[in-house]
Amino acid sequence: MSMIAFMAYKVNFFLIIIGPALVFFFIKYNLWSAIYSLKEGIQIQGYDFSEMINYQVWVLIVSLLSQGFFSSQLAEDIRLGRISSYLIYPFQFWQFHLASFLGFQTIQMAVAGFTILILFGSDLVQVPTWEILTSGLVMSFVVGLIWFSFQFLIGLSAFWLEETWVLRVILITVTQFLSGSILPLEFFPLWAKDLLSMTPFPYMTHVPVKIFMGAYEGSLPILVGILLLWLGIISLVCGLMWRSGLKRYSAAGM
Amino acid sequence: MVIECHGLTKEFRTYKKQPGFLGTLKSFFVREQILNRAVDHFDLLLEPGALVGLLGPNGAGKTTLMKMLTGIIVPSSGKMKVLGFTPSERKLQFRRKIALVMGQKNQLWWDIPAMDSFLLLQKYYEIADGDFKKRVGFLSEMLDVEKVLHIHVRKLSLGERMKLELMASLLHEPEVIFLDEPTIGLDLVAQKNIRDFLRVYQEERQTTILLTSHYMADVEALCSRIVLILGGKKRFDDSITKFSQILGREKFVTFTFERGVDQTSEIWKSHDPKWKFEGRQVELRIPEERLRELSATILNQYPVVDFHTEKMPIERVMSTLISNPHLL
Amino acid sequence: MRTVRKYLGVYEHFVMTCFAEAMTYRAHFVLLISMNFLFTLTSIGAVGFIFDHVDHVGPWDRSTFLFFVSFMLVVDHFHMSFFAESFWQFSDDLKRGMVDFILLRPIGGPFIIFFRHIRPGAILSSILSVIFLIHYGMEIGLSPVKWLILPFLVGLSLTLLVSLEILISMSMFWIVESFGINFLRMQFQQLSRWPNFVYQFWIQKIFIFFFPVLLVGSAPVRFLVDFGDWELLSYFVIALPMTWLFIHLFWKLGLRYYESASS
Repeated sequence: MSMIAFMAYKVNFFLIIIGPALVFFFIKYNLWSAIYSLKEGIQIQGYDFSEMINYQVWVLIVSLLSQGFFSSQLAEDIRLGRISSYLIYPFQFWQFHLASFLGFQTIQMAVAGFTILILFGSDLVQVPTWEILTSGLVMSFVVGLIWFSFQFLIGLSAFWLEETWVLRVILITVTQFLSGSILPLEFFPLWAKDLLSMTPFPYMTHVPVKIFMGAYEGSLPILVGILLLWLGIISLVCGLMWRSGLKRYSAAGM
Repeated sequence: MVIECHGLTKEFRTYKKQPGFLGTLKSFFVREQILNRAVDHFDLLLEPGALVGLLGPNGAGKTTLMKMLTGIIVPSSGKMKVLGFTPSERKLQFRRKIALVMGQKNQLWWDIPAMDSFLLLQKYYEIADGDFKKRVGFLSEMLDVEKVLHIHVRKLSLGERMKLELMASLLHEPEVIFLDEPTIGLDLVAQKNIRDFLRVYQEERQTTILLTSHYMADVEALCSRIVLILGGKKRFDDSITKFSQILGREKFVTFTFERGVDQTSEIWKSHDPKWKFEGRQVELRIPEERLRELSATILNQYPVVDFHTEKMPIERVMSTLISNPHLL
Repeated sequence: MRTVRKYLGVYEHFVMTCFAEAMTYRAHFVLLISMNFLFTLTSIGAVGFIFDHVDHVGPWDRSTFLFFVSFMLVVDHFHMSFFAESFWQFSDDLKRGMVDFILLRPIGGPFIIFFRHIRPGAILSSILSVIFLIHYGMEIGLSPVKWLILPFLVGLSLTLLVSLEILISMSMFWIVESFGINFLRMQFQQLSRWPNFVYQFWIQKIFIFFFPVLLVGSAPVRFLVDFGDWELLSYFVIALPMTWLFIHLFWKLGLRYYESASS
């Protein structure tokens, strides 16, 4: 059902979800072309021009696969008091939203798959092996779950805040910068890189991109383990917020 | 004439969508257009100082008509003049002289007190400070909202909000007021308050008012003339008395008895009896000329504890016409 | 004159009510400021990190490029402070049919729509980007004359940016899912945040002559940096009134199309 809802907003779907990712890629492609065009064949922090573009293409794919789910509906449900009707339904609130996330994810897979096929036809990207492709996809899916849990967390903040979009923009701005989707983390100063390695941010773009490029050296199971740990932590926070938010909600009779 | 329109027509385009996923997919690529005529060759004349009720079921075209008359939407065809202006040209002079109140939408700003919104309206309509104060004082006293002027609108009850909405629309002393269901969703007391206010206001100022409402009590209390719109077309336009007699000059009388009475008696037969409570109550349809004689007979022969004629004949007429438009 | 006074009076009231509103939602106020700070810092940071490894991009060195970035940040922040909210509100108002009330008022509709909402929090956070602008302006050694025309150019850029966005928003009359148009609007804003020379030839041509978003920042900054580079600025002078003309046309057309969501 949620897939139908998404398709019904066909223009919005393109404008909100796919458009921004494409424009982001487009700008970076132009920017890096301009940077690399000054000297023929230079390498910056280990990236030559084609590797940089390769990196940015995979950033695009990873963001299509994992990001973009826009759970503003959750916040709206809470703000407008529509949450009461969910409380009567025979399933959990988060189950409903997870289901709509999964429905959305299916469409995103198709969009990403389509993009990958087009890109393989061009010479912008090196075609990875099946093994690499699969592990990249698995990784992206888990990252998608993390994004979803973050979005859910922000949605829940609607119990306390009148508007949640600011938090969402903050999340996206910070993550885009710190996860390496604007520029690879190799470009960051050393101290910043060390600091970042203790946060979930690198895993949200940089690491999956490296996997797709076949340049990741660590082991995938450990990675997924780390991500699931983060996922657990965020879910725990969500659970706590949901409970205290609900108490507040029923107490205020909003 | 304050309002004058001839052959006014508005068509909307909508799309059909089949249910289910395949339907969604289909509507992604092809859309079947439907042309929906919301208002169909409508004629209307309103004299200065008239208070006219515009009646019709949901989706009959009442709101569309009002939006055309206020210049919010542009008609597909036809002619109209309001106060000598063509509404769709949206001249500033025209907009200063009209007001539209919609019971289902609020113009007041949700997160600030009504008074702040009023001050903004003062700026919009360029109302002089002295006049503004006088009008706010006068209206808020009449509507009994002096105490809530400075409270955030979101914290007020629907009734209070509606009063303030009305007030907001009257601050610039419009010459024509369009009231689209001003009492919708209000409780009985609040409805009556609004109604009483409108009557007094209109009597004092002789403002021209076009009113729509689903509550016949509003219409009966305020309007002397009724315009009925069904499926975008005008079907009736005359006095309220004539309206109540559309379906025949008969009275509906209800008798209540102390105990159940004999339902088979001849006296009921020709009057279409509707029995309730095991013969303790009956509703009869009686031709006007036989009302006195027949009532007297029943009062004499049966243990009547209560009897009354129908309270609002137009309500019955209205509901009959909505479900059977062909009767007209 | 009377009209100007009327509009100023109304605008004064807009500002007052928005401040009153902002004060009731304190958490939102604080978050908005943090959001703008983070946005400023990441924008400067990203370009700064790039210049840790290269010394020129196009014709510009680190200081010049960062001067451009902070120029655009100032424009963006003023945009966020005085206009952004109104664009979002407009799509919402259209959906809920609230534009009805705007059309009833005896004052210009576009004025109420696009000047209505001010974000006091964003005004406060513009300060950071202004500091960056002054800092990098000093680094590239702007002459006193250039310092004098700088605020004027910022105003001009803001005017073009907002005009272009109003033009985009006019399409909301035709597209039911008007919410998404705001994302389209933001994408154009994204494009304008980079100097025109990073784009390839045809892209530059399109976004200078056809839909001139690249003029927003590049025209004034190139004029300042390479004094006497009048070319882009002269396009700018033509683009602005053209945009206004189109806004006027589309507003008239849009109203004829407006169907007013029924209640």
